[in-house]
Amino acid sequence: MARGDAEFVEFARAASARLVHAAFLMTGDHHQAEDAAQTALVRTYASWSRIHDDDAYGYARRTLVNHLVDRWRRPMREYPTEEVPEQRRGDVADDVTTRAWLVTILGALSPRERAIVVLRYYFDLPEAQVARELAVSVGTVKSTSSRALEKLRTAAPRTADEEARR
Amino acid sequence: MSELDRLRDAMRATERPDATLDLETVMRAGRRLRIRRRVAGGAAATFVAGLVGVAVVAVGAPGPGGPASTGPAPSVAEAPPSAAASASASTAKEPTPPPTVARGVPGPKPLGQVIDTGVQQGTDRRVYYVVSVSVPGVPKVTIGLAAGRRAPDGTLRTDILVNDVAGADRSPGFHQIGYDERSSDAPVPTFGYFVGPAERIIGTVDGRQVDARMARWSMNKQVVIFWFDPATLTPGERLDGIIARDRAGRRL
Repeated sequence: MARGDAEFVEFARAASARLVHAAFLMTGDHHQAEDAAQTALVRTYASWSRIHDDDAYGYARRTLVNHLVDRWRRPMREYPTEEVPEQRRGDVADDVTTRAWLVTILGALSPRERAIVVLRYYFDLPEAQVARELAVSVGTVKSTSSRALEKLRTAAPRTADEEARR
Repeated sequence: MSELDRLRDAMRATERPDATLDLETVMRAGRRLRIRRRVAGGAAATFVAGLVGVAVVAVGAPGPGGPASTGPAPSVAEAPPSAAASASASTAKEPTPPPTVARGVPGPKPLGQVIDTGVQQGTDRRVYYVVSVSVPGVPKVTIGLAAGRRAPDGTLRTDILVNDVAGADRSPGFHQIGYDERSSDAPVPTFGYFVGPAERIIGTVDGRQVDARMARWSMNKQVVIFWFDPATLTPGERLDGIIARDRAGRRL
């Protein structure tokens, strides 16, 4: 069923923040995150007439993740994961600290691990769906997820120590 | 609170509900993309390459054994780009079909020799070949790499076509990599091409190194076509990275 621009605008306004944030979690970089979310929405809009009512968000999410995975799939790339994001108006110290912690510990993960962590624990997708969206086996999702969490457990105390020394 | 709980909380707590994108720009770009897809859909064969989803028109006559024309134009892909570089011939009303290539359809004419991988798939052989493509607004991309099957009677059928959608197709280094979409009865081994004096191409997946098999393009020996044996890299499984080394073992 074809839907109009007004519906897309409504959808995009509702979905933008979450898409940008998911991309930020996967890249650790605000500019890349905004670019990736914008690309996902462009492609979603280009296909708008074919997307079923209840699938627009899933479509945009898959497009976003695949866009980022496409970039990793090319010869090794590095993402700046140590960058502490700019402080926005209204930020409080806790927010900045939490964000810095998050960026640091996610930075300890490989791109694939980050993607799985974001899909599993930010989007709360079941393992089978993560596997489908990343075109890997459920076993790979389980093992990668487990490895990622182990890295997080290792990285977290170190990060906490660093914070305490500040 | 466990580390996982803390992670979940942190991921949610750091959301920026006020984050906005310029929707006018988004819709303008979306309209352009839609138009490009329509333009490409009206041509002989339509393929959508993965990286930025730009529609590409394959140029040229059908392959050996194919019909006189490439047949009716497949409808334009409007599925989300998958992690694989791929193209689509989805039908109009499918909700969100996985982007596949114009699978199993006669493809464009190969440029130079067809590379026979020796991989048998049913009665067919897995082959790769370079074809002409035309990417709107990207004049330095004129070739793409097709994964196809050659039937015992010599007929070629294209499964996946990948090509660059920016830059130059003969620039040194790796170019688009094609992955199987698991929607075919004949899984396509992961493949791509590298431009340069590569003597060895090594992919990594889950910390494991996998050597690619290679063959040089008959029309330009700098173009090294590679693929991964399906016995060592499951078709469709994403590489975490890939490197090329020269004769002396130096990384290119």
